[in-house]
Parts: sequence; C-alpha cells; structure tokens
Amino acid sequence: MKTDAFTSQLSGYLDDELSAVERQSLDAHLADCEACRSTLDELRQVVARASNLRDTAPVSDLWPSIESRIGSESRPGRVSPFRRAISARLSFTIPQVAAAGLALTVLSGGLVWMARSGDPRADVPPIRAQVQEDDPAIARANFADKHYDRAIAELQRTLDEGRQGLDPETVRVLEQNLAAIDRAIEQCRRALDTDPSNVYLNTHLAEARQRKLLLLRRATALSTKGT
Amino acid sequence: MEAVALRYASALSAADKADDVALAAAGDVSAFERVYRAHLPRVHGLVRRMTGGRDADEVTQDVFVRVWQKLGTFRGDSAFSTWLHRLAVNVVIERFRSETLRRQRLRDGDDIFDTIAAPTRSRDLSMDFETALAKLPNGAREVFVLHDVEGYKHHEIASLLDISAGTSKAQLHRARMMLRRHLGRKDSEL
Repeated sequence: MKTDAFTSQLSGYLDDELSAVERQSLDAHLADCEACRSTLDELRQVVARASNLRDTAPVSDLWPSIESRIGSESRPGRVSPFRRAISARLSFTIPQVAAAGLALTVLSGGLVWMARSGDPRADVPPIRAQVQEDDPAIARANFADKHYDRAIAELQRTLDEGRQGLDPETVRVLEQNLAAIDRAIEQCRRALDTDPSNVYLNTHLAEARQRKLLLLRRATALSTKGT
Repeated sequence: MEAVALRYASALSAADKADDVALAAAGDVSAFERVYRAHLPRVHGLVRRMTGGRDADEVTQDVFVRVWQKLGTFRGDSAFSTWLHRLAVNVVIERFRSETLRRQRLRDGDDIFDTIAAPTRSRDLSMDFETALAKLPNGAREVFVLHDVEGYKHHEIASLLDISAGTSKAQLHRARMMLRRHLGRKDSEL
C-alpha cells in the first residue's frame, strides 16, 4: 500500500474506526514512516484544538430583534410588554415599526458616519449590497463609501421631511433602536481595530451597513405615506 | 463589550434552570430572555462555525425564534441544552437546503482554502483556528464542526446532512488535513 493510502486512513485511526487488520497494517507502516507519524501528530493537534474552542456572544445584542419577532407569535401565556405597548398605541404593524425604528437609527448613525468621513476606521473594504429594486425613485446604492454615504444622506433628508407623519410612540421606539444599532456598529468597529482581518467582524459590519440602507428605504417609504 | 460579557456570564448562572424553560414554555417572555442569554454564546458559536460566519446573527435569531415556537414540544426526555443544540443544527441545515447549495458545497475544491489570508501575529490561537475554520470549503467545514467540535458521530452527521457516512468521513479527513497545513504554518511563526 502506498503512503497516500495510509495517510487517508489516519483520521479513521485517530477516531478508532479502522478494522483490526487495517489498524495493524497502519501501525506497521507508522513504525517505518516518519512523514506519516508527523502527519498523525498534527492531526491530533487539530482535533485537540477543535475540542477547546471558546464560545463567545455576538458583538451586538440580538434580543431586541428576537423579542420583536416572538412578540408577533400567537402563544398562550403572558404577552410580551413590547408587543402590548406596540399594539395598544400604534397603528403600524410590528415589522413596519421595526423597519421605521431602524431607519431612524440611520438619522443619527448617518450623521456620525458622515462626520467620520476622514476617520481611518471607516476604511472598510467595499462590499456589494443586495439592494431591493422596489422603488425606482430612490437611487440604487453600493458600498463604495462615497455612493453609500450619498444614498444615506438623501434618504435621511426624505425621512426627516416626512417624520412629522409618524406617531410619537413610533418615534420613541425608533430612537431606542437607534441607540442599539449605533452601539453595535461602534463595538464592531472597535473590535476590528484590534482584529482587522476577522472574517466574522467584517461580515457583521457589512451586514449592518446593508441592513441600514434597506431599512432606511423602507422607513422612508413609511414616513412619506403618512404625510 | 466587557459589560455585555459580564451580563452574559451572570445570566448563565442565573438562567440555567429548568424553571425558566418551563416559564418560557408557558409564554413568559422574560424567562425566555434569560434562557436566551444563558445559551446564546453556545448557540452563536455553533451557528457561526457552521456557516463560516455568514449571516450568523440572523441565523441565531432564527434559532431562538424556532425555540420559542417549539418549546411546548420539549418534554424533558433529554437535557434542554441537548434539545436546543439539535434544534439549532436543524435550523442551520434547513437554511443550507433552502439555498439549494448543499450539493455544490460538498463538491467545493480544495483551492478555496488557498484564499486564506496570511495569519496575524495574534497569540489567540483559538481565534486563528476559527479564522482558518471559516475558510474551509463548506462541506468539509460543516462535517468538521459537527464531528470534532460538537461531538456528533458519522452516522448522525450522515442523517443530518443527507449524505453517506463515507462522505462524512472523507470530508472530515479533508478538513483536518487542510487545517493541519494552515496551523502548521501558523505555529511555526509563533
């Protein structure tokens, strides 16, 4: 048997999945093959490391989104205070409120973003957005910062003009979401300062930016309907 | 960040109680939040590793919404964490299937791994390992996470992923060999 064939058995050897005959044959090979012994040792290290990975919580708190989603579920028992407050005072659906809330997030988040136009921490690699094409009146944006910032600014202006059409309770909920998303983005950016190549953090930040844009568009449409 | 971590840590000790699971099953949202905070790091770690980090937050939300929907079916035959864990795996796999990429992922080429960026000088070995893991071809990564990180057996993985046990073993070996090459390079730099 060639060395490659023995190598392909090393994981089975580690996991004690070889037959007695196969194991005996591989043992004999290992006694004479330094390369296979070295590979086996490295595979052991991989397995050991996999079993010692640390679990960490996500950068942002996911609970507000989860709570808003389960608040719309019909289950027996206590009703979420969040759901009760929304249903009692607002005429919008919960998804609309969530969308509009996160859009208001952009009102201040966008200002921070623009104020930091010279901030090196803003130099995140451009990532294409999956922008919905449902409103031809609004220019399509990508994540090259210049175009993205311009699209955000335009949408913010439109939303600001239509803000009076929103219920005050809606505005309050939106401002709560504003604080949450700003914290998440800031935490993400701080983490990227120390670990700029982190795949998860970069993906998370790109998703947050994309989500901002999409939700701002939806909220803008909501506010203009109310005027 | 530290405050958030401390909140999670304190929530873990307070919420790992059957009472909270029972209350949540009866519709108590506050109890469910405690359950969420107690199990979030574990669930998010599983989701993040299985997906390679893509949409991990969104999928994690999907998991907990599903938990909320299914809590009434939890009968206590197994530990709640085991039940939750299996449900999380199923949510991730359903998402894979809905994207109709399962077969393509399992045939991804080894060359994908060559796109791994040069490792940083960080001494956080677990994070370097996580980065390498995220870059594995999807099929190899899923099997590796389920087997070596989460402790599933090949016949269980085969059932979950709708592949043969032999494919599961081959993908596992492939993943380990790729990680071995990368980590060998990393370790030599330290």
